[in-house]
Amino acid sequence: MSNPQIFVILSGIVLTILITWYFWFAPKAQTRVAVSASGAQEVAITVKGGYTPDVIVVQKGRPVRLTFTRQESSACSEKVLFPDFNQNADLPEGELITLEFTPDKAGEYGFQCQMGMLRGKLIVEEG
Amino acid sequence: MTQHDPVCGMEVEPQSAFAKREHMGQTLYFCSQSCVDQFDKDPHHYVMTSATTGFNPQMSLTRIELPVSGLPLKEHSTHLESTLRAVNGVDEVKVNATTNRLEVQYDAQKVDVSKLVSAVKSIGFQVGGTKVKIGIENLRCASCVKFIEDELKSTQGVLNATVNIATQEATVDYLPQNTTLAELNKAIETWGYKPRQATSDAPVDKQEEAHANEYRKLMNKFWFAAAISVFVMITAYYQVVPVLRDWSMDSLRLLWGVTALLTLPVMFWSGSDFFTGAWASFKHRSANMNTLIALGTGAAWLYSTFAILFPSVFPEGTSEPFYDVVAVVIALVVLGQALELRAKGQSSSAIKKLLGLQAKTARVIRDGKEMDLPVEEVLVGDVIQVRPGEKVPVDGVIVEGSSAVDESMLTGESLPASKKMGDEVIGATINKTGAFKFRTTKVGKDTALAQIVKMVQDAQNSKAPIARLADTVSGYFVPIVMILAVWTFVIWFVIGPQPQLVYALVTSVTVLIIACPCALGLATPMSLMVGIGKGAENGILIRSGEALQTARAIQIVVLDKTGTITKGRPELTDIVISDQPTVKDDELLRLASSVEKVSEHPLAQAIVEGAQARKLELAEVQDFDAIPGHGVSAKVEGRSILIGNLKLMNRENIALGSLEEKSKSLADDGKTPMFIALNGKAAGIIAVADTVKEDSAEAIKALQGMGIEVVMITGDNRRTAEAIARKVGVTRVLAEVLPEDKAKNIQQLQADGKKVAMIGDGINDAPALAQADVGLAIGTGTDVAIEASDITLIKGSLKGVVTAIEVSRATMTNIYQNLVGAFFYNVLGIPVAMGVLFPFLGLLLSPLIAGAAMAFSSVTVVGNANRLRGFKPKFSVK
Repeated sequence: MSNPQIFVILSGIVLTILITWYFWFAPKAQTRVAVSASGAQEVAITVKGGYTPDVIVVQKGRPVRLTFTRQESSACSEKVLFPDFNQNADLPEGELITLEFTPDKAGEYGFQCQMGMLRGKLIVEEG
Repeated sequence: MTQHDPVCGMEVEPQSAFAKREHMGQTLYFCSQSCVDQFDKDPHHYVMTSATTGFNPQMSLTRIELPVSGLPLKEHSTHLESTLRAVNGVDEVKVNATTNRLEVQYDAQKVDVSKLVSAVKSIGFQVGGTKVKIGIENLRCASCVKFIEDELKSTQGVLNATVNIATQEATVDYLPQNTTLAELNKAIETWGYKPRQATSDAPVDKQEEAHANEYRKLMNKFWFAAAISVFVMITAYYQVVPVLRDWSMDSLRLLWGVTALLTLPVMFWSGSDFFTGAWASFKHRSANMNTLIALGTGAAWLYSTFAILFPSVFPEGTSEPFYDVVAVVIALVVLGQALELRAKGQSSSAIKKLLGLQAKTARVIRDGKEMDLPVEEVLVGDVIQVRPGEKVPVDGVIVEGSSAVDESMLTGESLPASKKMGDEVIGATINKTGAFKFRTTKVGKDTALAQIVKMVQDAQNSKAPIARLADTVSGYFVPIVMILAVWTFVIWFVIGPQPQLVYALVTSVTVLIIACPCALGLATPMSLMVGIGKGAENGILIRSGEALQTARAIQIVVLDKTGTITKGRPELTDIVISDQPTVKDDELLRLASSVEKVSEHPLAQAIVEGAQARKLELAEVQDFDAIPGHGVSAKVEGRSILIGNLKLMNRENIALGSLEEKSKSLADDGKTPMFIALNGKAAGIIAVADTVKEDSAEAIKALQGMGIEVVMITGDNRRTAEAIARKVGVTRVLAEVLPEDKAKNIQQLQADGKKVAMIGDGINDAPALAQADVGLAIGTGTDVAIEASDITLIKGSLKGVVTAIEVSRATMTNIYQNLVGAFFYNVLGIPVAMGVLFPFLGLLLSPLIAGAAMAFSSVTVVGNANRLRGFKPKFSVK
């Protein structure tokens, strides 16, 4: 086996490990939401190629106020869905859209665009 | 000094005035009783107009009523009052907690409405105005913005106004009860500008507009990429191009250098979304379709550029570029996105159809004047005039006149419903015959139609459980494809044929490009959207994807008897005359209904209606007496009459003869017989019964034809229940079930492992509806807020159950087709792209073909979902 071949095989192994680690095993940054004066847990989310922040930690039983701003025209992200809470909103480009609901169950719940290309996670902790 | 009567405007001498009133520090004089009466009814009305119409020029105080919301007014009213009093220029504040209104008297010279509004908002209240956007044509000078804003703000009833020169739109918060859109337009016109309709606020139109823009943008990107692609293709296949094939390698390399530069704008303009999207998701440690396209085309470009810059590094014959892959793949995928968008637009047509039912304008009567207002400006409590042939604009209650209204679009009832004073009318229905006025009770997002639209939209965006599988798969999909691409490269490089590097690169790029997570992601939501929309078109509101999915697998349908199979209200069915007739049947009915008209018994109503249907004139009744548990007695036209059950006849010692036998057979048929005696002699029997809906039997037969077992459940006695069951062809009857045991009965049916649907009227059946796998509520009319049910049939007919199951089956089949298609596409496409067929057939996929396949796989999914739009229910709506 020639040197380039060995190099390519080793690179393949390294890349595989990197991909697996980066996408599945590396810890994700979480955004803990502060409770505002009005008692709601407010967070602003930018929608552009993804949700920023995309992992949001909230407390159970307190209203959550998510303000989305979609900064792209790609039709994929025109809606955001929280299927576990039966919440959804249209996100017209450039407009501030507020989605408000009270998470009544603890756990990890995904949120996403209509066809699931952009994804985020809402982690509801026992208050 | 001569004064003006504030009501009629007539001149009055204070000494000779008919009456005087002290109001808001003013003494007012009146010419007559009627004027003073009118004033006393609503004194503010006249003083308020006085400031603007010149009756009382000395007074500088203005008064405004603001609807407030947001916080409980009762608890916070003192805080609100003191906050407002603290505002300079505010004279008096009154909070009316019951009407949620705030009355403020203020000096318009010192303070304006927008300041009051911001004071109210500063302590957490909302001011309930309407927001409207008005377009302004040719608005160019920035300084005019301020003028128009001020003009709008000084218009009566305007809470706030902002003009945006970029969008050429004014956004106005105003109180619709104090001004109209026409007034606002006038304010803009005073500055010489022409108002026009602003870009619509309707979400569907807005989305459509955004889609149209996005489509244009994508098509521009596509045409650009396509044009470059043609050029790049020529240089890539130089061997077959007449002039180019004679060029030397060095000149070709120069030409390729040009294509390298030309493909850059294709990547970073046409394909910019892929790269920004890929980077954004990479930062979030996730990957999607963008990642794959960006990696594939990026790798191809980098390799190509490296190859033409440093040809000597590469083995002989491998230093040729693949710019064609970059340009063509991006062109194809962008085209695919554009086509997908176009197809998607068609899927939301159901919502558009529903919104299209909404009337655009309403003829509102305010202050005795009729005016045409946009329907958005109609307020709760407005009186609206509706003429024959017009649409009812919003929901309300008739206060004057009567008519027949076609409600088929919302209730499915094909016969126009007759409406008289006190009856409810629903927005979007069509007035047929008469003219009437109604007082609005629900406007805007509260109308029945708006709620239906909201419900359908929510359901369309919900998730079917089956989609979770696709979601889980696509969560791992892209990284797996990336790993597969890496190993495709490695394997081709290590054991592939010469030139290994080229094969390795082409195959791994092909793998990245052919994989299509989109098709998987799109499969369920697209079909769900069309399917739920289709249901709505047929009067079936499916609340969620879950309900839709479960409805497909229903094995047992449990029907509540009363109100579901039957009409739910008794009707006159039989009149039997005794063997020695003393009266004819019409006469018997006339006398009986004259008596029953006085009675409040529900069965009495049926008899009276029966008489009215035969156009019988009712007589005067004397000495009416209700005998509890027995019946009634009365005198009509000099004859004494007894109406009641067997017990009553026995008590009064009335010989019934053959009537007793006949009453038994009537009872066997599930009817309620009532004996009638005239002057102490049995005269006959009148029977009433809850009759079966005309189409129940047909619907039940259709359900059974679909392989579904139909069960009837009722609290009624077995005899009545079975009589009804026989009529509609139901064999399994659960009779004498207490309301609270209905849910338990459903549970028992479920215990056999069967999927059970319960159909009831949604109120007393709520626990059973919730217990069932699918609860279908029959909500005749406007009652769309039926929370316990998964599916609401807005038509009262059982045929809706059949259609609901049909819609569910058709949609789920469509979803399966999509999922299976998308799954197989990837499962077959990726290995072929990796080159598994190469050792056997020598077959390798070109990355160009892979790009085309990927682009059209998602278009196919959307196209297949749109096929559902052709769904036709067995029983048509009309």
